[in-house]
Amino acid sequence: MAVPTDVIPRRPTLLFIIVLAVLFFLMSVSSQTRYVGETRTMFERTVMTIFSPVPKLVSRVGGVAQDMYHGYLDMRRAVNENLELRRKVASLTTENLKLRQSEGDLRRLRSLLAYSEQFNLQTSMAQTIMLDTAGRFKSIIIDSGSADGVEVNDVIANANGLVGRVVLTTRDLAKVQLLTDNNCSIGSLIERTRRQGVVRGSGTSALQMFDIPSLSDVQAGDVVLTAGIDGIYPKGIPIGTVVRADPGQSLFKTITVRPSVDFGTIEEVIVIHTHKISENVMRYTP
Amino acid sequence: MRALRFAVGLLIALTLHSLLDRFYPNALAFFNPYIILVTYYAMGGNIVGAIFAGIAAGFVQDAFSNVMFGLHAFSLTVCAYIVAYINARLVLRGTLAFGACLGGAVIVNELVIYLLVNILVRQKIEMFEQGLLVKTIFTLLFGMLVYQLLTLFLREEPIDATRRAAW
Repeated sequence: MAVPTDVIPRRPTLLFIIVLAVLFFLMSVSSQTRYVGETRTMFERTVMTIFSPVPKLVSRVGGVAQDMYHGYLDMRRAVNENLELRRKVASLTTENLKLRQSEGDLRRLRSLLAYSEQFNLQTSMAQTIMLDTAGRFKSIIIDSGSADGVEVNDVIANANGLVGRVVLTTRDLAKVQLLTDNNCSIGSLIERTRRQGVVRGSGTSALQMFDIPSLSDVQAGDVVLTAGIDGIYPKGIPIGTVVRADPGQSLFKTITVRPSVDFGTIEEVIVIHTHKISENVMRYTP
Repeated sequence: MRALRFAVGLLIALTLHSLLDRFYPNALAFFNPYIILVTYYAMGGNIVGAIFAGIAAGFVQDAFSNVMFGLHAFSLTVCAYIVAYINARLVLRGTLAFGACLGGAVIVNELVIYLLVNILVRQKIEMFEQGLLVKTIFTLLFGMLVYQLLTLFLREEPIDATRRAAW
């Protein structure tokens, strides 16, 4: 639709031509100076200065928005990573516990094996399945019985020393009387002086050593070993350490021995299948 | 009021320019917000006002672009003059009319720039035809979208907001 001629503005062609001429001149100057060092004319700098707050503001707001966006993405990534790491930590913790358990088992079994190799007697390994050290009668149950060749009076030890002897066997299990049991007696000797005596359980966690004359040289810290004279326990198994040696009121010393085995921590034990003295011989022993 | 509207539009165009420069550095090779503003303003039919609008928008674009200072001012002034000249004689209304003016303005703008660069710097613009096509399409689409939005938000025909007897 054509506009009525009375409202058509005057054509400012002259203005247009002048403007283009000025702009062309400006461009010519700009194109001449652009590559010789002075790259910005004063007018250009003025325009930039006037409008510079806009790009600055946009840059700042854009930067903040970008940071927030990246922060959000990083947070999401961190949350996922955190969950993944938690799962991994749980898995590794479980694995670590298993490995620690295995390492402990390995160490114990290695020491037991090394210990059992010093005996010329036949030995086998067994696992403690029940432990009763709190009552007056101290005993443990092991998972080997007559089917495994375990017999009454077989000696039980671990890497630290003597544990006790088998007093009862079934096909699959065996009951072991501990050293600390009130009815347990062991022929023993002081390692340093080779003085022989008898170690007996006292029903407590400590042992008593008897039949050591008052004049004998016994000191706290002396190691007590089995003497191999009672027909049950082989010679040389550590029983404990003297913690106290009093002169006593009679001819013999009163000696307290601390067992070398911590009975509360027994897990694997060595069953030493000792040579049994025949009943005919035992019949004539005093 | 019209000058104020143009100033606000120029600030918006510069904001868009800065945003695109920051997040999509090559986007301005395919899209020109200043020409949308100048075409919209020039469609008011005020030739003198359109010339000054072209100069102002061109200077701002030049100031924040790495080209000869005055190049865009020149090309936008030419576009503004042509669009305003046509609209001073014909009453064009609606989005399609705006799109036609804008498309023509983009093509003229790019041709003028091509010629000036050839004359003054003696350089050829690489892939000019493809660039022209893409720039025309994207600018046209965006410009028509903006115009449509203005139609929705302004109570009057958007072009009437820029139209008056004289500046």
